[in-house]
Amino acid sequence: MRESAGLEQIVVIDDDYAMRLSCLQALSKLGLHVETCEDGAKGLNSVARLKPDLVLVDLKMPGISGMEVISRIHEIDPIIVIIVITGYATIGTAVDAMKAGAYDFLPKPFKPDELRMIVGRSLQHRRLLLESRRLEMERELLKRRFITFVSHQLKTPLTAIHQYLDVLRNLGDTVEVRAKSNEWLDRCLKRTKEMREIVDDWLTLSRMEGGMLSRQRVKVDLKPIVLNVLKTYREMEEANDVTLVPQLPGDSCLVRGDHNCLSVLFDNLIANAIKYNKPGGQVTVSAEMGDGEVVIAVHDTGVGIPREHKDYLFDEFFRVRGQGHTATTGTGLGLPICKRIVRESGGTIEVESEVGVGSTFRVRLPAYNAQDTNENQKGDPGDFGAEDDIDH
Amino acid sequence: MKTRKATQVTLGPRTILIIDDDVDFVEATSVPLEKRGYHVVKAYDGREGLRLAKIAPPDLVIMDIMMGERTEGFFTVQEMRQTTELRSVPIFVVSSLYSRIEEFKVAPEREWLAHDEFFPKPVDTEKLLKSIDRRLSDDH
Repeated sequence: MRESAGLEQIVVIDDDYAMRLSCLQALSKLGLHVETCEDGAKGLNSVARLKPDLVLVDLKMPGISGMEVISRIHEIDPIIVIIVITGYATIGTAVDAMKAGAYDFLPKPFKPDELRMIVGRSLQHRRLLLESRRLEMERELLKRRFITFVSHQLKTPLTAIHQYLDVLRNLGDTVEVRAKSNEWLDRCLKRTKEMREIVDDWLTLSRMEGGMLSRQRVKVDLKPIVLNVLKTYREMEEANDVTLVPQLPGDSCLVRGDHNCLSVLFDNLIANAIKYNKPGGQVTVSAEMGDGEVVIAVHDTGVGIPREHKDYLFDEFFRVRGQGHTATTGTGLGLPICKRIVRESGGTIEVESEVGVGSTFRVRLPAYNAQDTNENQKGDPGDFGAEDDIDH
Repeated sequence: MKTRKATQVTLGPRTILIIDDDVDFVEATSVPLEKRGYHVVKAYDGREGLRLAKIAPPDLVIMDIMMGERTEGFFTVQEMRQTTELRSVPIFVVSSLYSRIEEFKVAPEREWLAHDEFFPKPVDTEKLLKSIDRRLSDDH
C-alpha cells in the first residue's frame, strides 16, 4: 500500500481556486498531506495514484460531475471516505450524495474549524474501516492456514495407511512382508484413530466457534469430572507406565461453567500429561480453593516444554518437537481447545515447565458462589470473537 | 569416486538412505527394499539424514519434502548438492504435495539432476522399486 504510513492523505477536488487554497491551508495545519485538483478527471488520477484516506469533492464542477466522481472513487477503493462540499446545498442533493456513497456533507460557505471538525470525524471513521479490513484479512488468512494444516494433518496418516496397504496388497507374497502384516495392520488402526481424533477436535473447535457448544455457566463440581477422566485413562496409564495421582479436597470443588466443556478441558490436559510423560512417571491432578476461584493443576513428570516454545503452545497445530517428542503424535488442536474453554468459562490457563523435569498446567476458574442468583447466566457474548481469537 | 564404487561392487549390497519424518512410511518402504537385497539406512529428519549421508555416502536417497511442518527436504537436497561426495547421488523425492511436484522439478535453485525422480505420496511401491533397480543397475 502506501509508504508514508503515519501521514494521512487527503485529495481535494474543486474547480474553485480559492476553495482549494483554503482547504489546503486549513488541513495542512492538522498535519495532513493534502493534494488539490481542479476537476474530476485530474482528481480521479490523484485518487488512483495516492489511494488517499479521504477525498473532498465539490458536487458542481465542469466535466465529470461530482456524483460520478464519488462512484468512481469507490470503484478504486470502497473504503476511501468521501465528503461532499457544495454551494448548492439542499437536503435533496445531500441525500443523493450520501446515497451515492459519500460519508458526510459540508455546505459552502464554511469556516476552517467546521472543515477541520468534519475531516477529523471522517478520518476517525476511516481508521475504523481500515481496522476492520485488517481484521477481515487476518481472519481470511487464518482460515486458509487452518484448512492447509488440517489437510496436511490428515494426509500424513492417510498416506502411511495407504503405504502399508499398498505393500501388503502388492508385495504381500514374500515371507518378509507376511511376517510384518499384523504389526502393520496395528499401525494402520493406530493411524486411523489419529485421524479420527483430528476430525473430532476439528469439530469441537468449529462447534465452539459457531457457539454450538453450550456456554452455560451453571454450578459444576469439578471433582467427579476429574475423577471420571482419570478413570478413563487407567488403561492408557498401564500402557504408558504412568501413575495417576488425584490430590483433590475432601469436599466438592464448585465452579461456574459448562459440564461438557470442562470434561473436554480436563480430558485434554490429562491426556497430554500422560502422553508427554516418561516411563515410570507420574501425573498429579490437584485442586484448591483460592480467592473466589478454584485452582486446578495438572502436573506431569514428563519431557517438559522448551522455553522458546511456550508462547506458541496454545496456537493451533503447534506441537513441541525435539528431544523426547519425536515419536509423539497429536492433533495439535488440544491446547487451543483448552484455551477457549477456559476463557469462555471466565478463567485463565498458564503453564510452568522445565525441560526434562516436567510441566504443570494451572487452570483458574471462578468459584461457584451460592449468592449469585442468576444460575443460568450465559457467557458474555462480547468475549466471543474478540481480537485475539484463535478461531478459524 | 572410482575407488568408492569399486569397493562397493565387491562388498555387495547398495545402500539406500531414506529420509522421512513418518516412521510408517520408512517402515513400509524399507522392508521391500531390504527384501530386494538393498542395505537401507533410515533417518527421520533432514539433519540426521545429512549426517548419515556424510559418514557413508549412499547410492541413492529417498527424500520426503515436508518434514516438521516445513519443507525441510528442500534444504537437505541443497546441502547435499554442496557436499562433494554427495553432489551426484540420485535423489528420489517422495511427497504428498503432488500438485506442486512440477514446480519442484523446474525450480533451478534446488539443483535437481537428470537422474532425480519424483513420486507422489502415497507411493506406488512397486513402481518405486523398479525405478530404483533401474537407476542403480545403470550405474554399473
